[in-house]
Amino acid sequence: MKSSSSEAVMPSSLSSRASASLADSSSQLAQTAHKPRRNDMAWRWLFRAGVSILVLWVLVPIALLMLNSVSTPEQITGWPKTLTPALSFETLDFFWHYQGVISALGNSLLAAVFTMVIAIVLGAPAGYALARFVFPGMNAYRMIIILSRAFPMPLLALPLAVIFIQVGIDDSILGLAMVHATLALPFAVLITSSLFMGIPVELEEAAWLMGCNRWQAFRRVVLPLAAPGITASAVFAFVISWNEVFASAILTVENRTLTAFLVQSLSESPAEIKYAGGLILVVPALLFLFAIRKYLFSMWGISNR
Amino acid sequence: MRKMPTALALLALLGTTSALADITFFSTQARPLEEAQQMREIALAPYAEAINYMPQETGTFLSRLEAEKTSPDGALDLLGGLHGELGSLTPSILTPLNDLQGSLADTGISKQYMTLGKLGGDQQRYIPWMQATYIMAANRKALPYLPEGADLNALSYDELLAWGRNMQEATGSPKLGFPAGRKGLIHRFLEGYLYPSFTHSVVREFRSDDAVAMWQKFREIWAVTNPRSTAYGFMQEPLLNGEVWVAFDHTARLKDAFNKQPDQYVAFPAPAGPSGRGYMPVVAGLAVPANATNPDASRRLIRYLMTPEAQIRTLRATNFFPVVEAELPDDLPASIRMSGKAVAAQSSADDAVLSLLPSGLGQQSGLFNKIYRDAFVQIVLRDADIEETLDILAPRLQTLINTSGAGCWLPDPPSDGPCPVK
Repeated sequence: MKSSSSEAVMPSSLSSRASASLADSSSQLAQTAHKPRRNDMAWRWLFRAGVSILVLWVLVPIALLMLNSVSTPEQITGWPKTLTPALSFETLDFFWHYQGVISALGNSLLAAVFTMVIAIVLGAPAGYALARFVFPGMNAYRMIIILSRAFPMPLLALPLAVIFIQVGIDDSILGLAMVHATLALPFAVLITSSLFMGIPVELEEAAWLMGCNRWQAFRRVVLPLAAPGITASAVFAFVISWNEVFASAILTVENRTLTAFLVQSLSESPAEIKYAGGLILVVPALLFLFAIRKYLFSMWGISNR
Repeated sequence: MRKMPTALALLALLGTTSALADITFFSTQARPLEEAQQMREIALAPYAEAINYMPQETGTFLSRLEAEKTSPDGALDLLGGLHGELGSLTPSILTPLNDLQGSLADTGISKQYMTLGKLGGDQQRYIPWMQATYIMAANRKALPYLPEGADLNALSYDELLAWGRNMQEATGSPKLGFPAGRKGLIHRFLEGYLYPSFTHSVVREFRSDDAVAMWQKFREIWAVTNPRSTAYGFMQEPLLNGEVWVAFDHTARLKDAFNKQPDQYVAFPAPAGPSGRGYMPVVAGLAVPANATNPDASRRLIRYLMTPEAQIRTLRATNFFPVVEAELPDDLPASIRMSGKAVAAQSSADDAVLSLLPSGLGQQSGLFNKIYRDAFVQIVLRDADIEETLDILAPRLQTLINTSGAGCWLPDPPSDGPCPVK
């Protein structure tokens, strides 16, 4: 069998799923040799339909957003709708010249990157500790991490703002990133801990035997295997920071993030402005995801290109 | 991976380029993006100093102010908000502006508005800034269905009901609309229009027989109202896409429809009930936080905003009318011309009943609105028994009025002590 030979070179975290899918396909192959093809065809169509629905689920709203943001206001409120917009860039142009959008975009990116860095620098070691060591109070620690998500932001923002003003990090991107990192940390810790659990400790032990110290073994063996997962939790942190509105709106005055800057006003603006603003909020996050897609894909066992 | 530091440096550079403006103007008004832009470009641009105009949602506006009150130097220089929003703050957050009273005395600001600015105390906590009100708007397609003999400028609630029925019968779908969504201002319709029109009161007659009759009438009107009304925030949208032909809303929330298709819509006064034509003006005010770093600069900006010229510019940007005496120019946008006429017809009607914003309620004003919204939800949407519902809500209304110690305001006759609910 082909699968057994490929399993040997594959890291074990990925191998179980990969071998399962290979086994699937080989059993399918075996089936097609004996049974009539109709059943097989039906499954294939079901699979295709399912995939199409999932893909459309994601793409249709984005497509609508794009179409409507280059339509004229008359087209948006008018009926029947067309799929060929008039290509009017008036509303998008309005945003480009809207005072403060550019600096808010910069603030948003900066806050998201800081959040990402803080969440990973603090979250990955915590995840490693949870995965590799047994220590007293471990379960309580796990609970406490999740507990930090139990308080709604509107409740936290006011006391936080008071403290931030006293400490002097009010209205700063770094201060905001610290709040966002608090929101992102539970996910970072939990994702990385399950990630490190999936990497056999024997691999590390083998590295120690070959003369690595703890840090070297981590850096050369564990980290490359964990990189995709760490990236995924970093993306999560990025998206959490990017989408967060309430804390940003209260903790900053001059240095607003894009979401805090736009979302509040958008909900009360005419439809064409809503569409264009929505597009502007979505596109940077999409571009970011696109740029790091190969790390994400390799985590799911899809070959990276 | 190697590109990371460069990207970070670039981002850091981007983050620091946002310029620090001299005066931070924090406001809950002119929030929609286009209005905010016009506020900056039309209303504030001629001012000599740089202003950072920042529109805010009410929740974050209040939270930010509460957070800053302990700080010796605040980040905010000037506040713009509705009477109810400024009134729900701890009064000591706002600097007394009594010294401005003198210089504004001959500008023609109504005394009632100045009194509202004291928020029930002795000090002038805010200066009335601009005003608006609620009116009706109709698509011209709806006009043929007006009941016979009805005058658009002197409509009654009975005629509105008949009109709604006619439209529903003719088109097959209900074409009346009210802003009863989460962001809608239906509570103002109840407090300032329906109650005064049927009971000549807001608080005292809350559960009177007249009020019961009023709710019955509104239930009938609701039966020919578009059920999507419970999702509407700004009526300009359902008007523009044709879901609704006849709607009630704030002038600033109808403006888009009037401006985009001025020939398609008409503006007219709200209907009248047995007690007259209730209407409620809305007042926004300017205030200075007690910890503003440069209160003189804030006062200078207030003086500028109160000049007739700046008030006309603000009108163009926000659709809120001047509170000072100012000559309106001829070249105003369609929405202002149309709603201006309807507003004038409404306030000068023979049967007009002036209804003021709830005053003296302070931090209870949110709860006050909730009682009216609750009554609406229970009676109209959930079909609860009218008298029973009002009997449950009346003691709550009394409790919150007693807590704040607010005396009666128009259209209720003045009271000694807290306004009584009969």
